[in-house]
Amino acid sequence: MEAEKGRAVTAGEREAWMDLAVNMAKEALESGEVPVGCLMVYNNEIIGKGKNEVNETKNATRHAEMVAIDQVMDWCRQNEKEPKEVFANTVLYVTVEPCIMCAAALRMMSILWRIIHFLTDTGEPFQCIAGYRSEEAVEMLKTFYRQENPNAPKSKVRRKECSK
Amino acid sequence: MHFVVFAEPSRGEHARDAPILMEPGCKRRKTVELNGASTWDVLPVLSERESQSVVLIPAFAAPILDKKEACRLVREVSAAYPLGDHPHLKRVRPCVSAESAHPLEMILCLASPRLEQDGSQSLAALFPDGQVDPRGLGEPFLTLVPAFPPLTRPQYEEASSHWPVSFHENKRISRALSGCLFTPSEKAAMQSHMELAVQAAREGARLNMEPVGAVVVDQASGRVLAAAHDCRKGFNPLLHAAMVCIDLVACSQGGGAYGYKDYPSCTFFQPDGDSGHSSSSGDGLPYICTGYDMYLTREPCVMCAMALVHSRIGRVFYGVPSAHGALGTNYHIHRCKDLNHRFEVFRGVLEDQCRSLAHISVPGESRKDSP
Repeated sequence: MEAEKGRAVTAGEREAWMDLAVNMAKEALESGEVPVGCLMVYNNEIIGKGKNEVNETKNATRHAEMVAIDQVMDWCRQNEKEPKEVFANTVLYVTVEPCIMCAAALRMMSILWRIIHFLTDTGEPFQCIAGYRSEEAVEMLKTFYRQENPNAPKSKVRRKECSK
Repeated sequence: MHFVVFAEPSRGEHARDAPILMEPGCKRRKTVELNGASTWDVLPVLSERESQSVVLIPAFAAPILDKKEACRLVREVSAAYPLGDHPHLKRVRPCVSAESAHPLEMILCLASPRLEQDGSQSLAALFPDGQVDPRGLGEPFLTLVPAFPPLTRPQYEEASSHWPVSFHENKRISRALSGCLFTPSEKAAMQSHMELAVQAAREGARLNMEPVGAVVVDQASGRVLAAAHDCRKGFNPLLHAAMVCIDLVACSQGGGAYGYKDYPSCTFFQPDGDSGHSSSSGDGLPYICTGYDMYLTREPCVMCAMALVHSRIGRVFYGVPSAHGALGTNYHIHRCKDLNHRFEVFRGVLEDQCRSLAHISVPGESRKDSP
């Protein structure tokens, strides 16, 4: 369970990846994005790093996982690897449970092996390890939503609330 | 830029198979649309609850032999067995068959699996504490009644054939189901937008892409903001037509994640500068896909459907359902109460042309309906 194909993953290595994913989320928060970060690890090597880039790109589908998938595709091209084989043996470390869109995307990319996220597990058909450092991830989300999404149409939201 | 307008075969006219290449804004389009309007219907894709057939549950009912006792019986039975969780069920119905000896029948109580099992159907067993004076009641019988309130007229009609129910009709849904929600000119506009999506799909197929097209239109101004074909067979397998179109809208707003120079048919247009349309946020700038409609030649998959939720799309129109579809076929993501955005979905726009896209043959490939 703890071993990827071929090589064992030490607890120290995993902790280091967790740290990096959290740092990606922090970077997202600092640039006014929803604080979600992720890593994609293949053969103990980071081949994809993503943070939420929705506000930067004005594209609501630019979640951390989607950004990281693009990077893995680039990595496969550069290293002349078959994406299918690479994704099937990749572990995703992500600070928040993937949404429906990302879960569907991950499934299409055949990431079936293992996803480790920090929030609750709802029984997705991936091998999931949930709950790592969840307090930290939740605290970051709270910080983001306290400051309001700078891109959201604020006046409209208030209008809606008033008319309720 | 050229638009290809396909003449729809209409009754009493020769079907034209060959596309006619025309200049944009050509006057001919109007007649094409009017001819075509009779060949397809735009139908709402409702929620699961609204589209499912009527669910029935067992209940004990009994004839009311003496009409004069009806009022008292309803009062006493309702006190003993309230139908609080099923307020849509009418307690009493006039008798179904004209030859019936008794004028009315009433629901005594819903049959719990236990009661049903015991076969306890006598009045004494149903009212063991004598809460109901059984004068005027006939022998109880087991019947099936609708479990949920009807949400649409077809559901109401089906439910009523089992037992009378109350129905609070949503006029908009009824009009949509009968195909008269949209005016002929609205349908003509839908057709021209879907024609663009079909055209984009054909352009994509020429590049060996999955023949799926998408177009985004500003609902308020009717302006086309982006047109795209599927690019999943290019550099990124997740670039389904809807995802490309969402990114092109982002490009039109000064963002965007990808470049499309290899795909000249994936284009965007600057949104209107003038303020006052529904898509604007407080500062007059558009906000992702708020207030926009997406036209898709086929039903989107789970990823794309959820991407449309994230993008706050206004409405979605698609041509044909697909096996992996998530807006009506497998899921109803657009009506999911747990999600923070819901939108209307309609299917059937230019259905035949959208369906025929699946038969475009790409060299060395067999076409199949993948997500």
